[in-house]
Amino acid sequence: MPLDHRRLRGPEESQPPTLWAAAAAEDEEDEEGAGAAARDPCALRPLFARAGLLSQAQGSAYVELGSGTKVLCAAWGPREAAEPGPGRLICEFRRAPFAGRGARGRPGAAAEREAEREAAAALREALEPAVRLGRYPRARLAVSALLLQDGGSALAAAVSAAALALADAGVEMYDLAVGCALCRPPAPAASWMLQPAEPEERRAAARLTLALLPALNQVSAVLGGGRGGPPEDWAQALRLGLDGCHRQYPVLRQSLLRAAQRRRSTPPS
Amino acid sequence: MEGGQEGGQEGWMDGRRAGRRAGRMDGRQEGRKAGRKRALRRCGREAAGMASVVLSEAEKLYIVHGVQEDLRVDGRGCEDYRCAEVETDVVSNTSGSARVKLGETDILVGIKAEMGTPKLEKPDEGYLEFFVDCSSNSPELEGRGGEELGTDIANTLYRVFSCENSVDLKSLCINPKEHCWVLYVDVLLLECGGNIFDAISIAVKAALFNTRIPKVRVLEDEEGTKEIELSDDPYDCIRLSVDEVPCIVTLSKIGYRHVVDATLQEEACSLASLLISVTSKGAITSMRKVGKGSLDPESIFEMMETGQRVGKSLHIALQKILDEEENLGTSRPKVGFLG
Repeated sequence: MPLDHRRLRGPEESQPPTLWAAAAAEDEEDEEGAGAAARDPCALRPLFARAGLLSQAQGSAYVELGSGTKVLCAAWGPREAAEPGPGRLICEFRRAPFAGRGARGRPGAAAEREAEREAAAALREALEPAVRLGRYPRARLAVSALLLQDGGSALAAAVSAAALALADAGVEMYDLAVGCALCRPPAPAASWMLQPAEPEERRAAARLTLALLPALNQVSAVLGGGRGGPPEDWAQALRLGLDGCHRQYPVLRQSLLRAAQRRRSTPPS
Repeated sequence: MEGGQEGGQEGWMDGRRAGRRAGRMDGRQEGRKAGRKRALRRCGREAAGMASVVLSEAEKLYIVHGVQEDLRVDGRGCEDYRCAEVETDVVSNTSGSARVKLGETDILVGIKAEMGTPKLEKPDEGYLEFFVDCSSNSPELEGRGGEELGTDIANTLYRVFSCENSVDLKSLCINPKEHCWVLYVDVLLLECGGNIFDAISIAVKAALFNTRIPKVRVLEDEEGTKEIELSDDPYDCIRLSVDEVPCIVTLSKIGYRHVVDATLQEEACSLASLLISVTSKGAITSMRKVGKGSLDPESIFEMMETGQRVGKSLHIALQKILDEEENLGTSRPKVGFLG
């Protein structure tokens, strides 16, 4: 989003009031946490996916998770590039300024841009194995993801949305990339949970985001960090995540089919 | 420098199995040279953000076939590191510094401890800031390319150290909410010879071991103004405990097997790598897949096991070298930078 210089940006250092109301808020959150502890760790949140909704982009997709994460993604391609060589995939990831639950991040701030660039690099790593770049020499494929609301598992939802958008744009792909996020709460012997909500993710001791190409059973991205454990822990988390990806795959395929049917039935204006 | 060289030659991670396979290696090398003269097709410049190397199809095939039989171009096995030299306290203006040469990769890390204000969310802890500079490397890493690689490495380091107990941040606090020590870790990539993440993490751990933070006392006046007093004794300082600091192990997938510590040529043959950070106790603290290819879930499980095994032995060897260097103390002979 371009910076609007006419708007007053407010003081340089602004802090949200929730930081100072920590004592009262923590009691409420503890109650929420206790209630959420009864959640089944393998349960997937409801997923809504729709492809082909933006008229200006060649391909687009919108993914919404039950916890409130909303991602809108648009794809263009292929366009001629000046550099010779195989095709390149250019990814962009943007957060809306009101997306996070905490303080409003100023749109041009360096920290925001760093986080966005890191997420864009992760998105590119997840999508590159899925796209047949060899079929587009000297071309540039562009994908742009916009996070409207962060309710947890934002990067995973962005990966799914970006893959859907590319497929909707007609780019040749080996398979759809499905993203899934996991986290482990700070309690000592806690188990991994699929698709955490935002408070769970914030308090988590370890996080993991996966992207899988389900039909080929190939993992296209792994990004995780946090309090360590033996490899068996992480292997168990990976297996849970892969299972989650497989379960989400039919929903995404169905949305692509519906978009194609919609495009065929409405004549081009 | 001698201390570091002794450590290197004492053969930690010295993976030369030259004696056993010398005969076969010579024959292969001759055939390889002839093949290179006959048909040198430029195939697939792997410019994956790192210094690229040009390999012909025949050379790639040679490397891939060798790795299938657990035999790499320089005679190492799949899980062996190159000969490495580690030296600490090379730059005198810093609070801690280290230089690591892993084969051809050369890394210099300098840590400066400065006073700053703690972050809002963690008012009673200090923090670390990473900055990586790759521009002195090769022409294609100057400008944008070097900056992207630098931010990539810095983000990886942030993620590796995001685990709460890797560095004891509470010991870096002077006054909660007001003053704390900020450790600025500056990494310079002097030469890229493959496997830079591993070398950088070894150098950062060695530099953190070497860091000496001066002890300060906070004096409070009657009006409440706080004054910070540095102790007079220059040797009176805080040392950091590096027992929980993780090291990164990069496992590159070549063909059906994975190798540790890939050279530039081997990196050009591998489509996907897994970066794992392992602590000395064998706990994995972060994972990341890099590269354009995808990985089979079974390979990922195998790579994690290998990474844990290799990481543990890496930590043991590194700690031994660091302790030896520490015990040499002031009697360590100082050799010039290129010594």
